[in-house]
Amino acid sequence: MSDTGEQELRHLDEMTCLLYLERQLDRARGLEVSAHTQECETCRTLLRALERESRLLTRAMLEENEPLPSRLAQFQEKARRSMQWIWGLAFGLAATGAYALYTGYVQPWQQQLEQAGFGGSNLLNLLIFQSTFWKGWQSMITLLEILALATVGGLGVMFLRRRIRRGSALALVFAGLCAALMVPAPASAMEFRHEERLTIGKDEVIHSDLYAAGGRVRVEGTIEGDLVLAGGDVEVSGHVLGDLISTSGALRVTGHVDGSIRSYAGNLLLKGTVGRNVTVAGGDLNIDHDSKIGGSITSFAGHVSIDGSVGRDVLAMGGQVTITGNVKGSAKIRSGELIIDSSAQVGGPIDFKGDHEPQVSPGAKLASPVHFVKMRHGPDYSNVHYYTWQVIWLAAFILFGLVLFALMPRFAEEAVKSAERYGASAGLGVLVLFGVPIAACIACITVVGLFIGTSTLFVWYASLYFAQVIVGTVVGQWLMGRTSEFWPFVGRMAVGVVIVRLCTTIPHVGGWVKFVAILWGIGAMSLAIYRRFQPVLATGAPSAPAVQPLPPNTTIGGPLPA
Amino acid sequence: MSAPGITEPTEAIARARAGDADAWGELYREYAPAIFRFCRRAMPTREDAEDATMEIFMKLKGKLNQYDPTRSFSAWLYKVAANHCWDILRRRRIRQDKETEDVESLPLEHPEPSQLEKLIEQRSSEEVRKALEKMGARARMALVMRYYSDMSYDEIANALGVRRAFVGVVLLRARHELRQALEGNVALAAGGAS
Repeated sequence: MSDTGEQELRHLDEMTCLLYLERQLDRARGLEVSAHTQECETCRTLLRALERESRLLTRAMLEENEPLPSRLAQFQEKARRSMQWIWGLAFGLAATGAYALYTGYVQPWQQQLEQAGFGGSNLLNLLIFQSTFWKGWQSMITLLEILALATVGGLGVMFLRRRIRRGSALALVFAGLCAALMVPAPASAMEFRHEERLTIGKDEVIHSDLYAAGGRVRVEGTIEGDLVLAGGDVEVSGHVLGDLISTSGALRVTGHVDGSIRSYAGNLLLKGTVGRNVTVAGGDLNIDHDSKIGGSITSFAGHVSIDGSVGRDVLAMGGQVTITGNVKGSAKIRSGELIIDSSAQVGGPIDFKGDHEPQVSPGAKLASPVHFVKMRHGPDYSNVHYYTWQVIWLAAFILFGLVLFALMPRFAEEAVKSAERYGASAGLGVLVLFGVPIAACIACITVVGLFIGTSTLFVWYASLYFAQVIVGTVVGQWLMGRTSEFWPFVGRMAVGVVIVRLCTTIPHVGGWVKFVAILWGIGAMSLAIYRRFQPVLATGAPSAPAVQPLPPNTTIGGPLPA
Repeated sequence: MSAPGITEPTEAIARARAGDADAWGELYREYAPAIFRFCRRAMPTREDAEDATMEIFMKLKGKLNQYDPTRSFSAWLYKVAANHCWDILRRRRIRQDKETEDVESLPLEHPEPSQLEKLIEQRSSEEVRKALEKMGARARMALVMRYYSDMSYDEIANALGVRRAFVGVVLLRARHELRQALEGNVALAAGGAS
């Protein structure tokens, strides 16, 4: 550097003079320069000229030759107004999206389910948590409610942190959480039986809920509570006063169930009576001629055959639906094929959405002709609703990203950085995208792992969306440059998500774009999580010494020459 | 380092940090002229300076929590402004300066002192401002950071992304470029032998 200037030079070089003036030379060199300039007129003149040049520069730049432009004078008020407008627009869009989602999807479903006999206060509760599948969901909903409460509380603290003291905010959140936790959970008695060949004898009466598991299960006795079954081959010929919940490979019910039957993962053959509803997910459903269902049928099974009597409505989705029995309510069917035999009676309207025209026998007694709508596969680009929904989904993605970035800013930043390691992200993405759901399903087989498996599936499903947000942010950064600040980061995310979403709507290619984006994003998130769990080097570990050519605070400026 | 002629409104800063919109207004009115002047010197056009000023104040809202109240607010503000302006200029790829490696090989001879003194005496502030506008982005930026906002060599090094040891070289080279723009005298700017 200049402070090692050659001693043998007659005059000081300009750099040394400048550094001397700017007080950037070390003490020894500063004294040398000072001594030299006492005797050298030329160098003294140079120093003086440089100093005048500095002053001229400062004066020229400081002079107020230009008033503040009116655009800038009005900027603050405009910015405030524009921000209000943007917030209004954002909330308006979110509200419109929520309303459209409710009226477009939730409400029709709710109406259908209500018609099918699922009375209740809200869709989520009646469809999943209240009575449809598994009573263990009651615990899940409590947990989800707490998580939702914590999320809302966190967002509340984030927005209110400038208005209320941190302690007050935390107290508020914890009070809310405590209140949620204090809600008493319903207590119930239960009994567990696990044998390879399990039989509940005819004379046996279980005075509580029964959890039974085994390769071959026979229930001939009476269960006064609910019966929860897991096994390969199960037959219930006894009397169940509560609900029957089954995850069996094959379930035959020839007895009486006063409550509802909820079966998933296997075939159900019903020959007995059911007081309330039947819900089936997976396998085939056969309602025998002698069977009687007091309530409704909700089926997501492959093949559905209804030969018995159904007291209320039928809601079925699957490959093929055959009605040869008596349905007193309406039927809403969405399947590949619908066959209504001559012996069939349907008391309400029949709505059928499928690939082929329904096969209706002329002898069938129907309250009204079948209303058939041909199913369309793939997006309908000519329909304006398609574009409306694309915009709504886009807004939902951006809002989703915004919330996640606000809740986990560091993780989001790390995930975006990880996404730039393309190979590692893609490789890990393949592993996580396919491996995690398989592992979660395996975990669900055991009773203990059910909660972990289901929770993992939830997280995995949410991460499919977050992955697209991460990829969108990477694309945004390609276009607009990197940033570590929150709102510019969100801006890049929004721009990128728009582009990614546009690409996913391209016919034929869009699906692949989406797949690649999910693969890439999910891999990036996994990589970021993996890095977090990597051990950090000890602080005492030796590192390369830092070289400071001109250490600060060791400089001195000598007295200016006269 | 502090903004010329401005005593720091600590109360307004504290209120603005707490989210008070009126305090923001006060800070904006107080500092916008100085920051606009800074941008006016650093950026090539008036429109660029206006845009940059607005962007800096928008950015400031998100960054204010990072400000350490024990230090000078205006110094911090200038640092934010300098970083922002340099980011814009760098993104536009209008750096006309040579890179550090070239700067390193700059001859360290001094010009004819009396000739330089004469040049300085003859030039007005207006001429210097016009000359600044003709300069390369990095050279102009370096001069603005050092002689307008009084930033330290460390701060300039951080903002420009060069090693601290080269800040002096960058400044000297910028002065040469300024003299060239003022006079068009190549011999003087390049450094004539004594």
